[in-house]
This record gives sequence, C-alpha cells and structure tokens, in this order.
Amino acid sequence: MNNQAKIGVFLCRCGDQIEPLIDLETLNKEIGHQDHVAHCEIFPFPCMKPGIDHISQKAAQKGLNRIIIAGCEGRLMLKKFEKELQLLDLHKEQIDMVNLRGHVAAVSDLGPKEKAAKAGKLIKASIAEMAVLMPTPQSLAHLDGPVMVIGDGIAAFTAARELSRNNINFFLAVETTNPEAVLRNVVRAYPGEREYFERLETIVKEAVENPQATLLPRSRLTALSGVTGNYALTFETEDENLSQKYKAAAIIACLDAQLEPPGPAFGYDGQKVMIQPEMEAYIQQHGTPAGRTIFWLNDYEIDQADFVQLSARSAWNLARHIRRHSKETQAIILHNQLMPIPLSAAERIENRNLGIIWLPYDNAVRPSIQTDFLTFCSLTDHVEHELEWDQVVLSPVRSLAGESLRTARILGLIHREGRFITGHHAKVRPEMVGREETYLAGSARYPCDLHEALNQGQKAGSKTARMLKKAVQGQLYLPRVVCMVDPAKCIGCGQCQELCDCGGIGVDEGPGGGLPRIVDPMVCTGGGTCAAACPYHALVLQNNSNDQREARVAALSRQMAADEIVAIGCVWGGLPAADNAGKQGLQYDPRIHILGVPCVGQIDPCVMARAFLEGAPGLILVGCLPEECHHSFGVDHAWSRVNVLKKLLTLCGFNRQRIALAHADLNKPQEFIKTVESFAQTIALLGPIDRTPLNLDKLQTIYELIKYNTRIRHLLSASLRRPWEKSYRGEQRHALDYDRDFMAVIEEEFLQLRLLRLLQDEKQPLRLQDLAISLREDEIQVADCLWNLVTDGTISLTHQQREAFYSFVN
Amino acid sequence: MIEFNINDKKVKAGAGWSLLDTARHYGVDIPTLCYHESVAASGACRLCIVELKQGDWSKLVASCIYPVQAGINVYTETKRVQNVRRWIFEMLLSACPASGEIRRMAAKYGVESTRFPIHDPDQTCMVCGLCSRVCEEVVGLSAISTVDRGVHKKVSSPFLRPTDVCVACGSCVSICPTGAMQAIFDSVRGKPTMQLTQLTA
Repeated sequence: MNNQAKIGVFLCRCGDQIEPLIDLETLNKEIGHQDHVAHCEIFPFPCMKPGIDHISQKAAQKGLNRIIIAGCEGRLMLKKFEKELQLLDLHKEQIDMVNLRGHVAAVSDLGPKEKAAKAGKLIKASIAEMAVLMPTPQSLAHLDGPVMVIGDGIAAFTAARELSRNNINFFLAVETTNPEAVLRNVVRAYPGEREYFERLETIVKEAVENPQATLLPRSRLTALSGVTGNYALTFETEDENLSQKYKAAAIIACLDAQLEPPGPAFGYDGQKVMIQPEMEAYIQQHGTPAGRTIFWLNDYEIDQADFVQLSARSAWNLARHIRRHSKETQAIILHNQLMPIPLSAAERIENRNLGIIWLPYDNAVRPSIQTDFLTFCSLTDHVEHELEWDQVVLSPVRSLAGESLRTARILGLIHREGRFITGHHAKVRPEMVGREETYLAGSARYPCDLHEALNQGQKAGSKTARMLKKAVQGQLYLPRVVCMVDPAKCIGCGQCQELCDCGGIGVDEGPGGGLPRIVDPMVCTGGGTCAAACPYHALVLQNNSNDQREARVAALSRQMAADEIVAIGCVWGGLPAADNAGKQGLQYDPRIHILGVPCVGQIDPCVMARAFLEGAPGLILVGCLPEECHHSFGVDHAWSRVNVLKKLLTLCGFNRQRIALAHADLNKPQEFIKTVESFAQTIALLGPIDRTPLNLDKLQTIYELIKYNTRIRHLLSASLRRPWEKSYRGEQRHALDYDRDFMAVIEEEFLQLRLLRLLQDEKQPLRLQDLAISLREDEIQVADCLWNLVTDGTISLTHQQREAFYSFVN
Repeated sequence: MIEFNINDKKVKAGAGWSLLDTARHYGVDIPTLCYHESVAASGACRLCIVELKQGDWSKLVASCIYPVQAGINVYTETKRVQNVRRWIFEMLLSACPASGEIRRMAAKYGVESTRFPIHDPDQTCMVCGLCSRVCEEVVGLSAISTVDRGVHKKVSSPFLRPTDVCVACGSCVSICPTGAMQAIFDSVRGKPTMQLTQLTA
C-alpha cells in the first residue's frame, strides 16, 4: 500500500451551524497550502449522499489515500464514511474527523476569524497524524479446521451438536461420552433437573454419534499455544500419561461451576445434612427418602444471595419429585423472608396440590441446626419455633474450582480473581473485539440452571459456526487497530501480557520466559495501554501507533500560544463530554484544544513529554471515571504516567501542575467544563515555559529519558495496575516508599542523561567543575554519576596535569 | 443525473439521493429533528415535509425518505407546508414541552405556543427512535429500543433495567435531538461503580 500521504480535507458548512460561526474561506486557503494536502474544499454537507458521492469522486480523481472531514462528532459519523469509502480502498483509520461544530463553532463567542484559527490548529494536527500513518493492508482471517470443544461442562454437548448440524468437524474433549455416565454426572452441577434428562440423553447421543466428531474422552488439557485459527492444544490421557497435540481453529470452553458443601456452621455431614446435588444422587440410588425433609435455602447466610433463586428452583424441583413419588415424605422449603418465591401461577397450583410448604424466616435471626431440630424465627409471632427433621438439604456453595479452574487457567480465561469467569471485561464496541463471548459457556461463567447452560452451549456453537463459515467464504477480516509485536525488539519481559486484559497477548510455545510475545488479532481490543507500557517500543498499535499520536500532539503543541492548552480526551469520557457540551451549546474557555484518543491509557509518556518540548504550556488528559475504564485500567495507567511526568517536570524546575489527569462523565458536560476551565486558569497563572536554551535542553532530556530509558520505562510499567489487582492505583504498595525509590532512580538517570548529552555536544574532554557548573548541579552528585558512567564504559576518564577529564566514548 | 425543480429552480440529483439530500446540497433549508446523517432516515417526525405539485394535484411528503424523480416540482415553503409544519411543531410542543431544543426550533419557524393539551410538562422525548437506530447501526448493539405502544411508547432498555449490553459509549446522548437521552442514559447504562461528586452551586 502507498505510504505517501495524499490527504483530502473536506470542510463542512453544516447548514448554518459551522459556516457563519467559523470563517471557512480563510481556513480553506490556509489548509490548502499545507504539506501532504492534495485537496481541500468547503462542502455544504459532506456527510449526506451528495457529499459522499463528491468525496468518492475526488478521492478517485486525485488518488487521495487519507481523508479528513472537519465537521462534527467522529464517534457518530466515522462509521458511515468508512462504510461508504471502503470501495475506494480507504479503510478505518485512513479517515479522520475533526469536530469543528462541537469543539470550536458552538462553544465560545470568539469571532469567525479566531475560530478559524483554532479550527486550523486542530485540522493541522490531524494532518500531521495522517501523514505518519502507515496503513496496513486488509487481511483475511484464516480460520479453517476443526473446533475444539473442551471442558466437562454439560454445555459441551449442545455446542458439539450445533457444530455437527453445521457440518463442522470438531474435537470433543470431555470426561465421558457415554450418555448414561453423563446423566449420572450432571446432577453434580445441576441438581433437581430430572425433567430434562430424556432430552439431554438425545442431545448427548446426537453430539457423540456423528461423523464430524472426534472424541477425546478422559484426557486432560496441559498446554495451549497459538492464536485464533491456529491453536495447538496438548492433552494428556489419564491412563497412559501420553501427550498428544491437536490443532484447532477455534476453542469453545464449556465449564461448570463446582457445588460444594457450606462450612461446619450448618452441620453438614453428607448423611442426614446434605447439599442439593447429594440429595439428587440419593434419590437416584435409593429412591425418595422417608420422613420429613427440610430444604434450607441458606444462600443469604453463605454470602451468595444472588444465587438464591437458582437454589430455590432446585429445591422446589427436588421437593416436587419427592412429593410426587412418596406421599409420606413431608417437604418443607425454609427460606429467607427477603427472597421472592420463584414460582409461576401454574406451579403455585401444583405446589398447593402437592402440599409443599414454603416457610419464611426472619432475616434478622439466623436459623440454627441441632440434633433432630432446626430453629428459626417466625415472621408472624417472632417466636423461635423448632422444626423436626429427618433430612436437611442445604444450598451448595457455588464456585469455580478443581478441573474447571485448571482448564480455565490454561485457556487464559481468568483475568481477575473472583468466583466466576464473568466473560469479557473490556466493555467496548463489538467491532473492536473479534470474538468475545463465543468461547465460554456453562455455569462457570455465572451460576445458571441446566436449560440456560445448554442454551449457552448452543449459542457458542452457532456463533463459532457462523464465524468459521464467514472465514471460509473469505469475508472475515482481521480487525485493523490491533497490537503487533516486533520480534526483533521484544526481549520477552512479559509486561504487556500481564497488563493486557483482553487476553490477546501470549507466547508461541511454553510458558514464556524471554520469548518474544505474539498477539492474537482476533482477541485484541486495541486498547493499547500494553503498547504504551513496552520499555522497548516493541509493541505497536497498528494504524493507531504511538508515532501517529506523537505527531498529532506535537503538531498541535507547536501551534499553541502562551496560554493555550492541549487536552486529550478519551472516547468514553472526555471526548463525548466535550461533544455533548458543544451539542448543548455550552460555552467554555476557547484556549482548550481537544484531541480524541480511544483510551488515555494509549498515551505513552513520551507523547506527554513531546507536548511540552514542542511548546505547549499545559497538558490535560481527560479520561473516564475511575473503575469505569473500558480497556482494562487505562485510566489508572495514565495516572502513573502523568505522575512520572510530574516528577520529571519538578526535577527540571518547572511547575508540576502543568500536566494533569482529570475524569469526566460523558453525560455531565457541565462538569467537564468546570474541569477544563479550572485547568485553563491554572495554566494562565503559570504562564508559558520560557524557551531558553537551558529550558529547551531540559525538555529535550525529559523527552529522551522517558522515550528511550529502558530502566525507567521498565519500572514504570512494572508499577502499573494489573487487571487482577483489586486495589486502586497507588494502594498497591507502600505508596511513599515506592515513590521515593522511583524518584531516586529518575534523578539518577536524569542526571546521567544530561551529562551524556553535554559531553556529546562538547566534543572535548571536560573537568568535573565545568560539568557541574554548566548543568547547575551539585558537584558531589555529578561526581557519583560520572563514576558510574566511567565504570559502565559509557564515558572515558583521562588525566592531564593531575586533573581528571571526562569525554564521551562513541 | 436526475433533473427536477425545487422551488421553481432546476436542480440535478444523483442516483439514490433523497429530496432532503438534494435540497440541502442546493442550500435550501428544511427543518429536521429525527433525521441524522449517521443512520438511515426513518421519516418519524414529519418536520421535513415538502409539497409535490403537478398541475392541480399536490401532496405532502417527508423529504428525508422520498427518493428523487425526474421532472417533479418540489416546494418547501408553500402555505400548505407552512401550515402543516406549524401543526407538527404545536404537536411536538405539547408532547415534549420541556425540550429547549424543540422550543428554539419552533420559535425559529414562528411557533411559540400550542393549542394541544400538555399531558406531561416535564417530557422531553418525542420517541423518534434516533437513539435506538444509532445503537444498532453505528455502535452495532441493541441496548435500547422503544417499548410499549401508541401513547405509552417510550425509549428504554429491556424491562426498564440497566443492561449489560450497553457499553456506555454515549452515542445516543450525542445524537438525541431533544436532549431527552441525557436523563434516560443513566437508567440504561446503570450507575457507574464510582461517581464524581457534584456540588450544587
């Protein structure tokens, strides 16, 4: 693809919402003369059919390969342009939008000329970004081959059945494929679902007995490698301890939660006091029990009130079965008053006919169990009544454990601590994720009943089938904005893999340790905080690279006047808040110039440093609400990076308030305005950074240090919050100790870099005193630092007339 | 190219253009509310009506969904159009009296009061469905849609509960022509786990 940028800029009049407010004619002339701009014109409505026809025509005529539309919210409009211009080989990220209406025209009372100047700055920044964009070709996803259905969850059989119905070959790696054994086992995870057994048997038979299936019973997954479309799974068979490798295009994990007895406080003994699955097994073996059976729904007491409905359904199903088969057995369901009874009208009638008693107890008084009696506090008279029992059936504790947990770990499904795999954390637009939930079904995801689990399996199967069909037909493209690793630069430190929440980063083989990482483009969400954290810049976010952002921020910063501010808003918080402020016609300080990024976590600290180097007096990052970040913990990561910059600014004698992180809720534009106005005032008070040679040298040093110093970059990424960490940013370690240590490292590296730069520039040996004076630093510190550099071999030491001279070694 | 007349002026339109596309391209002002360029037109609010005349015969059509035809005569400011537009504005004013955007737009076309009864003085939503269309067509999800029917129709997530389907991108808030979505949005995305304190002045 042609990397030489030929940019077409289209300025939108938008009826009367842009044109009279912004002087578009002046803007048109100014932009038309920019480098890389092959075409610039004003159009009434570029977004409507005539406009799109016109843009397509111009793009074809002049061979434009980048399009900038300066009009309104890219969040809403970009998709339409992308869709319409796709035919011309103009893809996502080759089209950019600048929101003139919402960020310039509507939000201040400047004159049309001044607004045109502000608009010009924003458009030129976009041009700069487009000029360095290296578009990747559209590439097809290769997904051809069998699907691996794995896990002991019951959903495996519906998933397999769905695949076989779609004529897709699959491996079925489950504990057993014998229908009878499956039915025997299913009660362990789904008690009281006897009604389904007949249907379940046919499902299992259909899944197992067909030519598409390759059965791998009794095998344990031990390792996984590769990416979507080309997975390799290693299994170990229980009997022979033999390892066997299988290739698969996609994986469907069907895992069930484990049901375990609650703690000793409930008197569990597995004989008379049991949990629901054990009662089910008892009925299977010995038939209905005699005497009085009490189902105690103790979910509130075992801290899983969310699942009480599920336990209640199981209890009712069991009680119903017991009462149907033995009129002598009494069935009482003892439940917390807070729980609504989950029965339909027809079921209530049946319940009445069968004489199952639902007995509520007061939530304030915990029922207690003794020999033959269960005490509970009645709601009506507040007396502690006693119930005589022959069997007590407790609700099980539901958790992810044992084999399911092990399999989930190997498959990389667990990103955070918790009892269940709650699917995918990243809450982004569907086009940003290749597959999302297709890989997970069963009650390990979230406790559910048998019907729901089977349903999930079927859905996973049909989604996978659809994806494979699309790939075979050549219609499945890889997402364009995903991370890619340069294996030549990657040292295999694994920082990115730890930070990644989408699970898209892995190693080709084995557990890791020094091997270059690879990215699964079908899983990567393009969050990019991993790329910004890479100490070696080995990880690059394709089509939205760090170079692009740096170019954009640099271009805007270069144009900033003494009191103008660069603001970077994330597309989930700051940017939409600004868009909505414009939409509502709210006014704010016109000195704020807003750029949008998909996530503030994408911003490498070197981009922040570059803004100051190029002349911005202030930089504010406006992210989303804490804990609401759509891409892992991008906002927390931005916090850490901003703080490194603050330290560096302080070290150089600049005010650390020049850079700030703020949070915005997109639905509260008024609050966003308070944020930016307050920051604008701060910067107005501080004034510009004097562009003296000394200051420029310091800013250059900050930039080089944060961009290339791998020690600081390593420390920084090691300090970032991991997806599984529950505590908020600074709480992860002793905050002050950590900060002091980090500061000391920064000071050391900063001084070293300044010394090196000075010696390199001077090109002649210098004495300690000269160095200390020209750097305006303490002599002892400089001496320490010089000694380190000399022992490293980075600089050389010579003696002339009993004085030490230091010089740079090439 | 398809040739026809708008307000007695000859215009040329391309294949697949609507009357609104052509009119806006030639700088003819037609008010719209439920139309947004990012999604397919639906013709819900009827504000964009224009008159098609042929001899003694004439009809009113919604210009946002009316495809162009060769030789038709379109008028955007006839008495009939102005009259019907006034009714529509009055109906909108009675349906969503609290919406500043509608009030401003109506005032621009000389409508400042309504003869129709106001049932809910706090209502801002006119149920044009732009929010659900943007969610489906632009975001690629279906977190919100209109629920219930007729006069009870309203915009909501399924079962009037916050939904996990919503990714909280705010496209619906940005696209809403009446500002109603700002209030509905929190009941769709769910309350953020952490909220910023708001001081009331």
